Amino acid sequence: MRVAIVSLSSCLGCQMVFLSLEEYLFTMISENNLTYAPFIVDSKDLSEADLVLIEGAVRSGEDFRKAKEARERAERIVALGTCACHGGVQGLADMFSMERLMRRRYEAGASFDGEPQRVDRLLPLDSYIRVDAYLPGCPPPVGLFRSFLEFALAGTLPSRDGSSVCSECDVSGIGLPQPGPRRATDEPPVAGKCLLEQGYLCMGPLTRDGCGALCVSKFAIPCDGCRGPSDDVLLYGSKDPQEETLRRLVRATGKSPREVQDAIADPAHTFFRHCLAEPLLRRRRPGGTAPFMYRLGERE
Amino acid sequence: MADILIDPVTRINGNASVRVVVDESGNPQEVRFQAFGYRGFDQIARGAHIDNLCPIVSRICGGDSLFHQVAAAVAVEKALGVVVPEEALRLRELSMWGQLFERHAISLTVHSIPDLLFPSSDPGLRNIISINRMDEDIVKKLMVLKSLGTLVLRETGLRAVHPVNFIPGGAVRDIPGETRQALIARLKEAGPLLIETGRLMKLLLRRNEEVVNALGTDETSCISLQGDNGLAIMGSSLTVIDAAGEVRNNLSPEEAAEKVKESNSHHSHIRGAELAGLGEIRVGPLARLNINGRYGTEQADEELEEVKTHWGFPLHRSMIGHAARILEMIHAWERMIDLLGQPPGDVLRKTVSPSSGTGVGVVEAPEGTLLYRLILDEDGLVKRLFITAPLQFNLKALERAVQESARFAMGGVETGERAAILLETAIRAFAPCIPCGIH
Repeated sequence: MRVAIVSLSSCLGCQMVFLSLEEYLFTMISENNLTYAPFIVDSKDLSEADLVLIEGAVRSGEDFRKAKEARERAERIVALGTCACHGGVQGLADMFSMERLMRRRYEAGASFDGEPQRVDRLLPLDSYIRVDAYLPGCPPPVGLFRSFLEFALAGTLPSRDGSSVCSECDVSGIGLPQPGPRRATDEPPVAGKCLLEQGYLCMGPLTRDGCGALCVSKFAIPCDGCRGPSDDVLLYGSKDPQEETLRRLVRATGKSPREVQDAIADPAHTFFRHCLAEPLLRRRRPGGTAPFMYRLGERE
Repeated sequence: MADILIDPVTRINGNASVRVVVDESGNPQEVRFQAFGYRGFDQIARGAHIDNLCPIVSRICGGDSLFHQVAAAVAVEKALGVVVPEEALRLRELSMWGQLFERHAISLTVHSIPDLLFPSSDPGLRNIISINRMDEDIVKKLMVLKSLGTLVLRETGLRAVHPVNFIPGGAVRDIPGETRQALIARLKEAGPLLIETGRLMKLLLRRNEEVVNALGTDETSCISLQGDNGLAIMGSSLTVIDAAGEVRNNLSPEEAAEKVKESNSHHSHIRGAELAGLGEIRVGPLARLNINGRYGTEQADEELEEVKTHWGFPLHRSMIGHAARILEMIHAWERMIDLLGQPPGDVLRKTVSPSSGTGVGVVEAPEGTLLYRLILDEDGLVKRLFITAPLQFNLKALERAVQESARFAMGGVETGERAAILLETAIRAFAPCIPCGIH
């Protein structure tokens, strides 16, 4: 199969995972033809391909051009990583207008020779082109990446339905109420017990499964939502990451909703760290990402 | 004559292009290393709780994720006066050597060795995939080294890309004793391969002497952290030397951060950086070596001697950066074995109470000095964050190296394609990291 890897606005972490496929990497590259992957090979132009993995979100007109070109030349396209699927951490930039970001970093009216068109809002890949399959994760776990590729190169594209991180987590409950809301930098949690019930800001119930819940159940580190929102969160307006986590923390700590909410001063960074740019989460009542986002056309 | 445009520059870390502006008589007049796509990470972090800072800045760069996390964590700890337990510092150091080892291995095997192995082959053959078709064994061997760095990083950071183990105040979990022993065994097993690769690298550079002497020979001042007994990857003392190797300045991280002067480039989103009063300055494996003079571990220093004898000291030719990379890998390998041999710790973290403060964190990332300056507001939330990445310091030197290479390539009998290959080879000698540079 002719395979290509295109990278848009990204950290290249997904390609680091590609290089970490160990034995399978050698099988994969000897059985298939890696026609384009600027990180690894020298071809300068994307030619016709059977499978194109696109990592990164669309941050500029150039990213859009590359995505469109890929769509025209690819049989099938995979959105690789949480940036391509939901915007990723860089999507937090949608709290500000592009004009303001540029003004504060460079200077008012700064212009650059050869600069591609700026886009005012960062958006995931499928806001611009049709995507055939999704493999979210920041980065996607190496085992999952491998099995995904095995399927994809055999001709089937795995669908992305699934449950939440909690479905894979093997911690047990704890007596309530507990102190909180708490952060990882506060005192360490009790291992093996539900972190959310212990008052920690754990995004497990709202996050797509597939990682084996290693952070939470093996290391007692709260889930930061890096696999992106679960299907339930994407499909049902009533399941908002912020509202749902706050509700569970109220139950865990026995405090009032107001008290719990006030204790979290950075809700966008906490609840929507990997998915602020996801259009499906924007308009929900209560909740949604709209209150955190810069509104297009608004003067600052 | 038409400009030379290479778009994209391939086999580097990130998306960039390079344009050589050529004057009427065909001389390279200006070089523009172009990279766009500012993502706003310094501004994204504003308003974030310190607990959220490390996972956010980690996403600036997948390959250097840990270095961003540690620089940010150190800045928080300095701002709040937190003293991190020794064991946690050791674990951080171990993990950073792991990531540096991995990054250098990728930079050498995936990006640069193909150019040195087959200097006259066409671009289609200059990659690990084509080499793999000809000789599976050599690629597998080289990738073993990359996997070794990944393994240490995964065990210490609990994840190989965007590790989760390190937080302001220390680390969450130590490596259990039996894993330490297993890692030591794996590292020791790879020792001969590593030394062999180091010698291969030096041999390849000697065989490509003409290229080494033509692609970037500028002599500049350097800055890096200075260790007590050789190379330091974390620390609190920076040294600046001039091109002749004379010490010009010793700076604390805070003083260095004060002196950083960034300026817009008219053709790229990467802002150039200098130190006020000290002018242009280079960072990276060569700068680290020039400043510290030695690595401070037996094998690395032994292998270094040959480099010094052959190419002199201080070292400025940017292609020798590849030799410095493999020597750093040998040093990292020795340090990792040493750090793994020390007993695991009981207390790895201090509880951190957010409040106002200002802190600076400096680490030596694989590509060079990485500087974080952080201001926290009265609620302990991020008020301002300033990041200066290695590529920002090296930008001018990189552009000059490309210009020098263009003069060399065009002055000779090189064809257009061959000239382009040389320019890209010159760029790869810097192992530039675009996502870090733009952030």
